[in-house]
Amino acid sequence: MNGPLPLSNPMAPRDERGMPVPLTESEHIAALKGKLLKDIQRSAYVYRVDCGGCNGCEIEIFAAITPVFDAERFGIKVVASPRHADILLFTGAVTRAMRMPALRAWQAAPDPKISVSYGACGCSGGIFHDLYCVWGGSDKIVPVDVYIPGCPPTPAATLYGFAMALGLLDQKLKGTHQIEGEADRAVVAHPAIALDVRVEIEREARRLAGYRAGRLIADEFLTLASETDLTLDECMKRRLSGEEDPRLAEILTRLWDIGAGVARG
Amino acid sequence: MSVSEQTKVGQNYVDGLRERFGAAILETEWQTADQVTVTVKLGSLPDVVEWLYYQQGGWLSVLFGNDERPLNGHFAVYYVLSMEGLVKSWVVVRALVEEHRPEFPSVTPRVPAAVWGEREIRDMYGLVPVGLPDERRLVLPDDWPEDLHPLRKDAMAYNQRPAPTTDDETYTFVNEASGSTRDVPLGPLHITSDEPGHFRLFVDGEDIVDADYRMFYVHRGMEKLAETRMGYDEVTFLSDRVCGICGFTHSVAYSSAVENALGLAVPARAQAIRSVFLEVERLHSHLLNLGLASHFVGFDTGFMQFFRVREKAMTMAELLTGARKTYGMNLIGGVRRDIMKDERTRTLKLVAELRAETTQLIDMLLSTPNLRERTAGVGVLSKQVARDYSPVGPLVRASGFKRDVRDLHAYAGYGSLPFDVHTEDSCDVLGRVLVRAREFFDSLAIIEHALDNLPAGPVLLEGFHYQPHRFALGFAEAPRGEDIHWAMTGDNQKLYRWRCRAPTYANWPPLRYMLRGNTVSDAPLIVASIDPCYSCTDRVTLVDVKKRKSTTVPYKEIERYGRERKNSPLK
Repeated sequence: MNGPLPLSNPMAPRDERGMPVPLTESEHIAALKGKLLKDIQRSAYVYRVDCGGCNGCEIEIFAAITPVFDAERFGIKVVASPRHADILLFTGAVTRAMRMPALRAWQAAPDPKISVSYGACGCSGGIFHDLYCVWGGSDKIVPVDVYIPGCPPTPAATLYGFAMALGLLDQKLKGTHQIEGEADRAVVAHPAIALDVRVEIEREARRLAGYRAGRLIADEFLTLASETDLTLDECMKRRLSGEEDPRLAEILTRLWDIGAGVARG
Repeated sequence: MSVSEQTKVGQNYVDGLRERFGAAILETEWQTADQVTVTVKLGSLPDVVEWLYYQQGGWLSVLFGNDERPLNGHFAVYYVLSMEGLVKSWVVVRALVEEHRPEFPSVTPRVPAAVWGEREIRDMYGLVPVGLPDERRLVLPDDWPEDLHPLRKDAMAYNQRPAPTTDDETYTFVNEASGSTRDVPLGPLHITSDEPGHFRLFVDGEDIVDADYRMFYVHRGMEKLAETRMGYDEVTFLSDRVCGICGFTHSVAYSSAVENALGLAVPARAQAIRSVFLEVERLHSHLLNLGLASHFVGFDTGFMQFFRVREKAMTMAELLTGARKTYGMNLIGGVRRDIMKDERTRTLKLVAELRAETTQLIDMLLSTPNLRERTAGVGVLSKQVARDYSPVGPLVRASGFKRDVRDLHAYAGYGSLPFDVHTEDSCDVLGRVLVRAREFFDSLAIIEHALDNLPAGPVLLEGFHYQPHRFALGFAEAPRGEDIHWAMTGDNQKLYRWRCRAPTYANWPPLRYMLRGNTVSDAPLIVASIDPCYSCTDRVTLVDVKKRKSTTVPYKEIERYGRERKNSPLK
């Protein structure tokens, strides 16, 4: 050690360029943490630290602790002070202005404590990861034990994340590796229909009904058109008779017009 | 876009300006039929804005700077006025600032609503508002170096991170009280607002004499991000992330800004679907705020009940958009999802359930004696302060002003949807609760009407041409007030400048006046009544100036005291 840096502050460590670096935990604390998880046998108290979130995460945490999802069933209780907390929940990308307040909250919580990164921004900084006023995810300033991803995570994902933090559940993460066989070929949908027609139908359906419903409708139309023995007009008349959704009928009729136009050349 | 003479709305304001200020009016340019940008001489900027604001029924929606040196060699400042006199339109006052003389006359002494915007221009562009009494930073953090202004085009890369200059908070809070007071800071890792903020209450015994606050703890640099790393069409998804509650409103405001700038006509069905999604957002946001109002008057059962019912609104959002947050639904020129019959039927069923259950809950809330007792006459926003500061949303409506952009400057499908603009004259917290409750039921009616009358046709406009250096305003009424976006397209399919103003930005400055004269136990209630988003909680330090004693108590303690009003932590 060459003596303290001009701005050295044990609570907020910096590297030689003066940039903040994450806090670390000693082995002793890590061992204590394992013991805590094993022998907790009581409710776990959670303190929320908003490091610069948009509130989406905060509201979903609210949703997780209110009657419909009710995290308190599992003894998970949100508390008002970091001094009572077993678990610290960091939301949002860490902004410059929130670095010190967040570090103070971390320091205030008694050891051993479990830190959870919550939401896409908490886990990695999200879309804001490299901005001038942001340091990145919460693991850029504190040691993190559990990540709960999502933008924002649903209340169900929140409960699952808490259970993982407490060691009640293992992470259900498994890797599989897909190897393409010699004869494997990606199958083109509706090969009987010419490519440009197919593209035109799919585009029109998407323009009318959006990416999700449009895809389903185009698929249905192309299946009908390619698998029928009847003429297109006959087939569509049958399909549309008794159709109860006027919007679906409108879109199918429009696709039928396009199909009929192609058939006429 | 060329706007024909006959369709121009707001020509009277331009004529009035020419008549009154003559040679000071340099140029007028119409962006849409009711949006005009008037370039004036820098020296007459305060006069022009003041005349439009006070003499012509204007309200200052947003103001911002722009580094136009690559375009015309100057900086520019823009003051956006929503004209709400006899003719409803938008007038944007623009003035150019010379590069070698980076200062402009402050409008704040004439129109107090300009205060935050001018402080932000100083932070982000280094242009000095001459005559602005408040010389503190607004947006940039305390550890940011002096003389580095992020939004100047030649200042820095969007991802350049200067090392922090300090680990301490150096912001000074202003106390305008005449006698001696105690300091009550709420924060910095603390409870109220879209972003974490730091409040300082100056109290005499139990009474708040003055208050000051520091926001922008979550300033991340989104505007710079939008101008650099992202394409203009991707910014719709970034604007969703401005706010976790009213994100969709922001993306509607942003997309319509670009659509207005490029002169795009969005299909009627897409407009109607946008209105439905916007109202779904209002449903869950208003339920959230009504729940919090219950919580802060000590009616926690009500809080839990409102949150239980709120889940139905979340289910509705999930049903219609695929996620509990209405994120990622907007594109420039339309929306990404249609509403089919099955979704419509299920939504209508949820609407009926929400109406029945919320009616019951609101009856219960309003017949709780505690509510009226705690909220009537508390947190008064006087009409004069409201007029001076241009607040928005239920806050200004509860002070008797009929301000709602859905009605004033109809956008999306609102021209043909049934709703009233609800106002109250009581100017207090109770008035805001009542306005929200009524708006909730209007939102249900709007959703029903829109779903029963969805126009036919496409949900997306395709095949338009992108043009650089076009600009316009976009706006949308979020649950807590209007969102205003101003976008200017630039080269390489990137924005040249994006200015986004969330409603809470307009509602903070008058809060100080609402807190004055109330008791400490009412502070959380008053802050909640402007419906900032509740994002974090922290401690409260009580400083007794008379006794030279400082005590720190948890925020929860103040909140508890706010609810129970027993065992004051000040003693």
